[in-house]
Amino acid sequence: VSADPRARGAVSYSVDASMPGELHAALVRSPIAHGKVRSIDVSGLASDARVLLPQDVADLPAYGCQIADQRVLTDRARFVGDVVAAVVAPTPAAARAAAMSVSITYDELPAIFDVEKAAAEDAPLLHPHLTISANDAAYFGIRPVPETNICHRFRIRHGDVERGFEQAEVVVEGTFRTPSAAHVPMEPHATVARFTDSGRLEVITGTQTPFSMRMELAALFGMAEEDVRIVVPPMGGSFGAKTFTRQEAVVAALARKTGRPVKLVLDRAEEFLTLNRHPAVITVRIGASRTGELLAKSVVCWADTGAYADCGPGVVQKMGFAAPGPYRIPNCWVDAYAVYTNTPPNGAFRGYGQMQSAWASERAMDALAAKLDLSPLELRRRNVIADGDTYATGETMHDTCYRELLERAAAAVDYERDSRGKGIALIMKGMQTPSRAAIAIERDGDVYVVRCATTEMGQGARHALALLAAEQLGCDPSQIRVPDPDTDQVPYDTRTTSSRSTYMMGRALTVACEALLEDGRRGYGAIENVGGLDPDTGQGLASTHWHQAAAAAHLAVDEETGVCELHKLHCAVYAGRVVNRPAAELQTEGSMCMGLGSALFEALALDGGQVTNANLSDYNIPTAVDVATMTYELIERDGASIHGLGETALPPVPPAIGNALASLGLELDELPMTPERVLAARDQRSHSTEAEPPRAEEKVR
Amino acid sequence: VRVSFTLDGARVELEAPEEQTIAEALSHHGHRSVRETCRIGVCGACTILLDGEPVSGCLLLTAQADGRCVTTVEGLSAHDPVIRAFSRAHAFQCGWCTPGMILSVTAMLAEDPDPPRAKAARELGGNLCRCGCYSRILDAVELAAEELRSDAHR
Repeated sequence: VSADPRARGAVSYSVDASMPGELHAALVRSPIAHGKVRSIDVSGLASDARVLLPQDVADLPAYGCQIADQRVLTDRARFVGDVVAAVVAPTPAAARAAAMSVSITYDELPAIFDVEKAAAEDAPLLHPHLTISANDAAYFGIRPVPETNICHRFRIRHGDVERGFEQAEVVVEGTFRTPSAAHVPMEPHATVARFTDSGRLEVITGTQTPFSMRMELAALFGMAEEDVRIVVPPMGGSFGAKTFTRQEAVVAALARKTGRPVKLVLDRAEEFLTLNRHPAVITVRIGASRTGELLAKSVVCWADTGAYADCGPGVVQKMGFAAPGPYRIPNCWVDAYAVYTNTPPNGAFRGYGQMQSAWASERAMDALAAKLDLSPLELRRRNVIADGDTYATGETMHDTCYRELLERAAAAVDYERDSRGKGIALIMKGMQTPSRAAIAIERDGDVYVVRCATTEMGQGARHALALLAAEQLGCDPSQIRVPDPDTDQVPYDTRTTSSRSTYMMGRALTVACEALLEDGRRGYGAIENVGGLDPDTGQGLASTHWHQAAAAAHLAVDEETGVCELHKLHCAVYAGRVVNRPAAELQTEGSMCMGLGSALFEALALDGGQVTNANLSDYNIPTAVDVATMTYELIERDGASIHGLGETALPPVPPAIGNALASLGLELDELPMTPERVLAARDQRSHSTEAEPPRAEEKVR
Repeated sequence: VRVSFTLDGARVELEAPEEQTIAEALSHHGHRSVRETCRIGVCGACTILLDGEPVSGCLLLTAQADGRCVTTVEGLSAHDPVIRAFSRAHAFQCGWCTPGMILSVTAMLAEDPDPPRAKAARELGGNLCRCGCYSRILDAVELAAEELRSDAHR
């Protein structure tokens, strides 16, 4: 085996990109959570530095992928870390010093940090007027609630939920909370950009969304999309962090002002201020017959999108339409809201709302099972959705695998023999619908060059495409080249998100390969998946296919310290068909690993809107010791289509662990499940008059 | 300060600012594989070997390397057993943490040619991989250990 460039340290990421004559940028961020800029003093600026102020970009319109609520620089800070000014200097160190020399005063405004308080009618408004973005990421019918901080509300109205609850003999209700979390890509956000002599804007940046960004930057600078070029080197991780337009806008504005190429690499603390995961408060109510047949479910999701919407409306939409869960429920209502608060913006994060949704709903399922005196496994068996069933969106389910996933997860922890210390959870995750993908292939002698916008962040999608192309063209994978995406060179693709690329680009590739085989030299393929939901009723087609998984956890708790010891964590994931085995396994393992972090210890700490753990010492991520008890299986079926695997194994992990704790009488409703919370649940259990005394729970010495 | 050290087998002399870290110095020197990431010695992405010992490049001043021997992954042979093991085990996704991992594993196997998996996992606690490739990284440790042992027997 020849050494992979990754094993030689020979990968060139965005941080390595440079343009001749570049200046280095640094950002000046607000130290307060909400306030109008009163004055900016730049008299201390070094002579070799230049500064960009809000008035320098006053001609540039507001932007944002779903709601146009951001400015390149803001004269009204809405979170601690909001970018008010920017500087350039000959070196990164000089730029950082120059940023420190800019002195800004503010007139403070009332700030709001709690999602439910922010949604109240009398809450101070972050954005008094909301304009829906013209970007193609705002495709699904965004419904801001005027005169509130709610920038989107999504509903499902399926059946008659009131009647369903009347019929129900057993009803449970609970409110479940999840905190914000950081993506922590090892490579920070990094961009270099310039305006060329002919007036084009060229941007080299790590992003999952080159065409959305091209559209946004073109609109921002009043240019034709053709005059904006986005080049995307491999990313040192992203997990949703590098989506839509982030630092690219201010870097381009600096390049415009200085007439020089400008490079910006965010520092580690800034990563925690750039984009995080939506905290959510979700109230679930489920009604069932005595025999455990689900009759009604209502879910209310409050998702905190931070100071700017970013793709928060999209996140709550998916959080909302997965809230019914993979079960037959004749009556189901969902109300999901994205709400502004004075905290760093939240957006796409591996799992895209499903983790929050599954944490609430799958914990509630186990509470229902307990009330029915039924095994959580049996309750799920009686209700799990299958091919031909109607989902809460009205769509007919197909290519489902839930029965098998459930049984495999249960078997992995020998759940039926003894369910103490064990928990299971099921999840469903939609794939971007509608969306488009296109790809071009050219033959040059023995080499085939594949041109597509699928970006590389470690997930191996482009290698998967090379394998698929080799199979269809009857050549060796080494004959396939897949250059870095460059919007000047590749056809339009919606984006590299929602675990869609191997499936969607793979289908476009099949068309392109057939065309090439016919033509001999060139082939082109484009496909589209069609669908979408009515935002007011949630009826329609949520996803052309569903990403499906089950997790099972087996653990013991040291009730003196509250520490959980995982004996086993297993995920069964429906792959349909595996294209690139190592990458499919790595994505599954990586998702489980991130899910474990979310389950047990990862949370952004905020105090008065200030992130207080913005470093890798205070914000812990999983290490090699955390994976020892993880196992997984990828389920394939003859003739099945490819199902994306980039995120599927993350969302079921926290509820499986939560349900394992619940099996010991330790009821947790908030993530992460820290030892402190486990001890509080222990105390709650011993104070509860209703709860039976715990049965012989396992204990670690 | 004037500093001279051996970098991947070649002698290097340079003028370094007093507060400059070795990771910065190597990056200026074109050694991209040493990646300053957390800057507080937690993540291991800037790991170098200093006279064979793994050290966080973000916590070591360039001046402290004076007269010492610095190894990066760029100085290892393409046929290096640890590099080969990482490739064979597919022990990476984005590849950012991989050079630091490889150097930590190299040092670990020099100390203990056959570390139990749990011990290897503990010893790699100072190398973070956000892609979560840990179990394949531990597979790579086993593959490399096997190859190194069979090389030693030959």
